[in-house]
Order: sequence, then C-alpha cells, then structure tokens
Amino acid sequence: MPAPPAHRLRFLIAVALGAVLGAVLLRGFVSDASRQVADEAQERQAVVTLQALTSLVRRAGGEGDAVRSAVAAWQSRTPSAPQARVFRADGIRLEASTAPDDAGDRAAPRRLRREEKPLYDRSQRIAAAVQTNREEQQARKPEIEVAPAGARLSLAGPLEKNGAVVGIVEIETAPLPLPKPAGWSGFLLALIAPIAVFGGLAFLLGEKRLPLLAAAVVCVAASLSWMGRAAVSELAAQQQRAAEQVAERVRDQATVTQAVATAQVLPGAAAAPGSWDVDDFRQPLGLLTPDGSVNPQRLAQAVDTAARELRRTLLGAGALALALLLLVGLGAFNLIGRSLRRHRQAYLYIAPAILGMVVLVFFPFTYGVTLSFTDSNLYNTGKAISDVWIGLRNYADILGDFAFIKRGDGGSFVNYLNFYWTLLFTIIWTVCNVTIGVVSGLILALVLNTRALALRPIYRVVLILPWAMPNYITALIWKGMFHQQFGVINQVIQLFGFPAVSWFDRPASSFLTALATNGWLSFPFMMVVSLGALQSIPADLYEAARVDGASRLQQFKAITLPSLRPALVPAVIISVVWTFNMFNIIYLVTGGEPGSSTEILVTQAYKFAFERYRYGYAAAYSTVIFGILLVYGSIQNRVSRATEA
Amino acid sequence: MPRSRISEEFPHGPLHAMLAVAVLVTIYPVLWVFSIAFSGKQSLAIADLPPTPTAGDRLRAVVPWPEKLSVSNFTSVMSDQPFARWMLNSALVAIFTTLLGVFLACTAAYAFSRFKFPGRRVGMMAFLVSQMFPGTLMLIPLYIIIVQLLGLGSSRIGLIIVYATTSIPFSVWMLKGYFDTIPKELEEAAVIEGASAGKIFWRIVLPLAKPAVAITALFSFMTAWNEFILAATFMDKENMYTAPVGLRFFVGGFSQQWGYFAAGSIIVSIPVVLLFLYLQKYLVSGLTAGGVKG
Repeated sequence: MPAPPAHRLRFLIAVALGAVLGAVLLRGFVSDASRQVADEAQERQAVVTLQALTSLVRRAGGEGDAVRSAVAAWQSRTPSAPQARVFRADGIRLEASTAPDDAGDRAAPRRLRREEKPLYDRSQRIAAAVQTNREEQQARKPEIEVAPAGARLSLAGPLEKNGAVVGIVEIETAPLPLPKPAGWSGFLLALIAPIAVFGGLAFLLGEKRLPLLAAAVVCVAASLSWMGRAAVSELAAQQQRAAEQVAERVRDQATVTQAVATAQVLPGAAAAPGSWDVDDFRQPLGLLTPDGSVNPQRLAQAVDTAARELRRTLLGAGALALALLLLVGLGAFNLIGRSLRRHRQAYLYIAPAILGMVVLVFFPFTYGVTLSFTDSNLYNTGKAISDVWIGLRNYADILGDFAFIKRGDGGSFVNYLNFYWTLLFTIIWTVCNVTIGVVSGLILALVLNTRALALRPIYRVVLILPWAMPNYITALIWKGMFHQQFGVINQVIQLFGFPAVSWFDRPASSFLTALATNGWLSFPFMMVVSLGALQSIPADLYEAARVDGASRLQQFKAITLPSLRPALVPAVIISVVWTFNMFNIIYLVTGGEPGSSTEILVTQAYKFAFERYRYGYAAAYSTVIFGILLVYGSIQNRVSRATEA
Repeated sequence: MPRSRISEEFPHGPLHAMLAVAVLVTIYPVLWVFSIAFSGKQSLAIADLPPTPTAGDRLRAVVPWPEKLSVSNFTSVMSDQPFARWMLNSALVAIFTTLLGVFLACTAAYAFSRFKFPGRRVGMMAFLVSQMFPGTLMLIPLYIIIVQLLGLGSSRIGLIIVYATTSIPFSVWMLKGYFDTIPKELEEAAVIEGASAGKIFWRIVLPLAKPAVAITALFSFMTAWNEFILAATFMDKENMYTAPVGLRFFVGGFSQQWGYFAAGSIIVSIPVVLLFLYLQKYLVSGLTAGGVKG
C-alpha cells in the first residue's frame, strides 16, 4: 500500500528550512555590511584627526619646541585620540610625543631607541609609498597606514616639508566602541512569520501539491523581501549617522586646530577642514563640503551604491533559500536520501576518497578557476574575490596578444613572455623529445631484441637506469655537467680544441641542454615498451615471410611495425602529456634562461604565480593549459578508439 | 634450433659497439655523480685544472674517477648537515602517504568495481579528468587550504594528506581494473556462507588483489619520495625539508655544495632505483593500459 501523500508536512519542513537559511544568510550579510559602515566611519574620523594634527604640525614648522607645544595643546583638547607622536626621519628623532611612556628621561625630543625600530620602519614604508605613487602618477601604495592595535586604531601619515617626506605623524585612537549587534526581533519574526502563515494556509488548502508550492514560495519570498527592505533602509540610516559623525569630528578638529594656532601664534592659513576627509592615498573622498558639513548629494549617491550592492547580495541569498525550499518541497532531497540509503554501502566505501578529493582536488581546482577571473596579486591578497573581479580580462590578455615579435630600437626581438611564444616552444619541446625518445628507444629495442646477443640482460639493466632515477636529481646532475667553467661537457669540447660554450646564455643552446637531459631520462620508457612488443611477435611470422622471399626491409614494414603499433601508440600518447608537463627538467636545468625564452607553459605559469606574484593571471594561464590538455585528451580518446575499431 | 632473423644477417660486433656507446652515454652521468660524491670535495669539477691546461689535464677532468678517494662527503652529509633529518621526513611522509593513499584507493576502487550506484560513471570520469588539472593551478588554493586554513605549513601531515589524495585517481583506476578481473562468484559464495560485506572486502577481495595493491603502494611511495614542487612550496622551515627539497638546497641559488648533493643523491636514489628495477614490468603494463583507456 503506498503511503498517503504528505505534501503538507514536506512543504512545512521546506518552508522552515528555506526561512532559516534565508534569514541566517540575510542577517550575516546585513551585519557584515553594517559593520563595514561602522568601521569605515571610525577610520574616517581617525584619519580626519590625523590630518588635522598633521596640518598643525606642519604649520608649527615641523620640528622644534613649537611643534611640541602645539602637539601638547592639541592633545589636551582631543580626548578621542589619547596619544600622538611626531617622528623625524632625518636624525631618527622622536620630535614630539604625548604617549604616557614617553615621559621623564624618555621624553621627546630624543633619538629613537633600538626597540622602537617598528616606528622607523613605518616611516620608511610611508616615505617609499609616497615616492612610488608620485613617480607612477597613481595611487597604488597606501600613504596613510591604518593598523588595528587591540580595540584601538593606530594611524600614521607622512609629514611633508617643501614636498618631501621628512617624517611621520602617528596617533592612536581611544578604544573604539564595539559595534552594537542588530536586534533579534526582526530576525525571529522573519523566521516565525512564514512558518506560521504557511501552516495556516496549508491547513486551509489541504493535500494539494501546486497550491501548497505557490503558498510556500510566496510566504518565504514575502518574509525575506520584508526583512531585506528593512535592512536596506536601516543601512541607509546608519550611513547618514556615520556621515554626520565624521562631519562632527571635522568641525571639532577645525575648532581645536584654530584655537591652538591662535594661542601659539602659528603662521599660515588653515586649510579647508573638509579636505581632511581623505582615503588611504590622501585623495579627498569628497563626501563633505570644504567647510566640513555633509554633502547631501554625494551622500545620497554613496547610500544608493551601497543599497544596490546589498540588494544584489540579498537577492542571491533569497534565491538560495528559495532553491532549498523547492528542492525539499518537490522531494529532490527525499530522492537523494532514498538513494543514499539504498546504496549506503557503496557510498560508505567511496566516502573517504571522495571527501579527500573534493577538499584537496576539486575545491582547489574550482577556486583556481575562480581566481582566474580576478586580478589577484601580491598587493591585494586580503581583498574579497568580488573586489578584484575583472571578468575575462586575464584570458583576453593571454590569448589576445599575438605580438610575440616586437619591434623596438635595434631591430625586432621576441617577447618571451608572450603566451604564443611559450606555446610554440612547448610544442617544439614536446615534439623533439617524443621523437628522440621513440627513435632512440626503438633502435635500442631492435638491437636488444637480437637473440643470443651476449650480455643482453646487463645492457638492459644499465639502459633502464635513467628512468629509475628521480628526475629532479637527473636534472640537477645535468645542470652541473653543463656548467660553463667546471662542467664536464665543456671540458670535452675544450679537449677537442673548441672554446667553452656558455650554455644558458642563448635560447638555442639552453634548449639543447634541456633536450639532452630529457632525452637521457625518457628513452628507456620507449625502449622497454618497444622491447616488450617486439618480444611478443612470434618468430614463425618472420620464418614464413622469409620463405616467401621477403626482404629484411619488407619484413620490418609488414611485420615489425604493425606489431609495435598497439604498444607504441599509447606510449606516445602518454609521453606527450608527460613531456608537455615536464616541470622539473625545465625549472631545474634551464630555469627559463636566458630571459624566460626556454619556459614551457607549466613553468611559465609557475613563475607568473610565484616569482611575479600575479596569482589571477597565473590561474588563467593554468586554466588555458588545462583546456589544451582536455582538448588533447578528447582527440586522443577518439583516435585511440578509431585505431581499436 | 631456430635461429634468429637478425643474427643471420647481422654480425654482433657492430651491435655491441652501438650498445657500448649507448651504455657509455647512459652511465656517464651516474659515474660522474659517484666520482663527485667520493671526491671528498664540494667542487663540481672532477679534477682541478692548472691555469694553462694541457689535453692530458682536460682528459683527467673528464674521466669519472676522483683524484682522491674519500667517503667524507657521505659521513658529513649525514652528520654535519641536516640530511639525515630530511631523509627521515621523506621516509615518514612517503610511508604514511602510502598507507593512507592505498586505504582510500582500495575502498573506493572496490566500490567502483562492485557496486552499481548513481554517480558511479560521473565519479570515475571526474577522477580521470582531475589527472589533467595543472599543478600550478592547484598550488595556490592548496597553499591557502593547507597552510593558511589548516595551519599545516611545514608539517609532515599536510604533505601526507595532499600526496595521498592526489595519488587517489591513478591508484583507483589501476586497482579497479584489477578488482574487475576477480570473479564475483567468490564473493557470492561468501555471502551465502553468511559473511558480512566488510569481511568479504578485507578477507577475500583484498588478499586476492595483493599484487595490484603492492604495485599501487610502491607507486604511491615512489611518488611521495620523489615529489619536489609541493614540498618546496609547503616546507618553509629548514628542518622540515624533505630530501628532494634538501638536495636542491645544496646546489640551488648561490650555494654550490656539489659534494653533499652528489652523496645525498646516491643515498636517496638507491632505494627507489632498486624498487624500480624490481617493479618495472608492472609499471609499464599499468601505465600503457591506463593510456589506452584514458
């Protein structure tokens, strides 16, 4: 007897699960966004304070007693930043300080102590950043360093004199207020309301599948959109408050600096306080008017952008929740669950392997492919993937750049970093190696196949040695033998009266070294494979051919080659992949010298990632390599199926 | 007695000459390593040349025999240098990789061979395709997972986990092929006798598949013993290097300790070379069979 339909119960569970997932995701994203707004506001206030103090220090001449008294006066009126220090790089001197530790015999001015090296380093970093940005005409390195120090923020910005960085001004904020967590009431309402409403509706609708489905979707979607709407408007209000806080701080600092400047009789005019509100690169944010009040237009824009971003994320979360609802509601999970139960044993056996593969093979692969759509590099590793997303640009850069021969002054030259050059080189490398391997392996196999040849087993064991040796050791040995001054190969060349060759100075000779190394280690494989195939040819075949009067060449063509084919074709196929991916030989023997001309695709990708630190670009490069291998694999599959048929 | 076709027409003399050349080319680098290792010096030249070398001097520098025999490179690489420690790291990593990898591969291969379940074909295909994932694409995410998330940088466990899982696909394909050849009737008989599924797997199937399991184990061992890139990426601390990373350390960059390198190479190579020579015929059939299927 089939069980009575339990649509109502199933949909109720689906609604509950969908509502929980949606509400949890929503809450997560919203509190993330709100924390971000709060953090940003705190940081902006701190930066404003730092900039105000910096302007004061600059007006006080940047050094001497004037600075010290100005800083002290400023400090007494600025409780939001309980300590400030001014450091001069020339003379490695602490010029002024209000830190409680810097009192008594440690009071400023004094030379920096050994244990205060971090302060010195910080100043060097900032000076270098300003220099770099100025030279490159762009904002790449942060000129204001903001570092969390416990619950406080420690900020440092450059102190300039006549356009040159002469030191830094450093402040530490008071402990920041903990962001207050969002209330739970909305969350609980969004959780309970849809379940309750759906429960009522289900009671009315009865065991009808489609109406139940519609009701479930509407309930969850409505509650989530209500929660999302509330969150978006809450965020806007928070941004408004944050902007006002910053404006408040600007006005406060404007009064403080004005008061200090008048009391100390400092020369120069005050800068517009609104210009203190800058980003890490000291570029004005423009959210305030010059006099330091909120710029309503810009604020509305900022609120709009943030709202749009949050809405997009929330839509994604809502879609996820609805998908879960549909899956459960329509019984897909039942199906999966049933299959899991029925094949429990099989899944139990493969579970450990699959788990390992998913975590350490498939997930990294997916992550790598995702990385290939970003501009991830050494300078932005901390950022979220969506912040460095650049779509297909890496692929366009790699595949769209055909100019591997460049014309410059002094003739045309090859751009060795170009993808197509490396691809061409890799193909040449693969073809040469496989040809060498097959030819030498086949010849040696034919010779070794001679019956009654004395010492045959000894020859065989010796000739197989290169395959047995770990290939990184082989590579390093050959690298040593090709050494320009002490290498054995140059000794032999000089023995015959020729000058020593510096192997790694020209692409062609560098290529030869890698070729020799790889040829040495790859012929035994072909030899063993061919020998196995040759030994399986029955001697009668040759006997019969001879009786028929076939010449040796005819015998070779008609008997030997066809019998070799089934063994050699797969061997060639697999050795093409091996050679194509032969990282160790290229990396350890030539190292790409000279000037990356002898890189193959895999070593080039490695260097992009680990020597040029362009992770996103390297990932795209590797994905292209994967594509090439996949195409090769499917072609080879078709070919080998055709040869079998 | 039937006589061979080639020997009738080919004198053995030229064949021996050809083989002798091949043997010379093959064995010279090996002899070179031995003469550097036993020279007792760190130089990569076999003999020091005078400022104006004669042909005789040059010949001396080519003949692979050290000027002075000494085992000091071997003794000091094992005692003064942390090489013994690196060997220990390599051995531990390789042994546990083998144990873990073979366990994972055996159970998975058995399921793929014996059970019909949804996802079976997809799983096998996924394993196959994963063999084409370029290592450079996996390195950065693996680094993030192993070093940054799991905090297993410079630890043997991290390497073991990575090696064991990356060796799964090849091992599974190889073992599944062998399991397929074991007649099912044996297991059916055992079921009738009342044996549990676990018992059948451990007591009947695995013992029958011993040769294939042995090959898989040795394959995993050799892969872990010889691996270089991952180890070089994960193992930052010098005392956690594996032997391959350590050997590179001797002669990479600006260091030129060729004597240590040569002695270390010989110590590292001997076990794998012996294993390899013992196993080569299985390896060839396994690899080419995989090639046909792949």
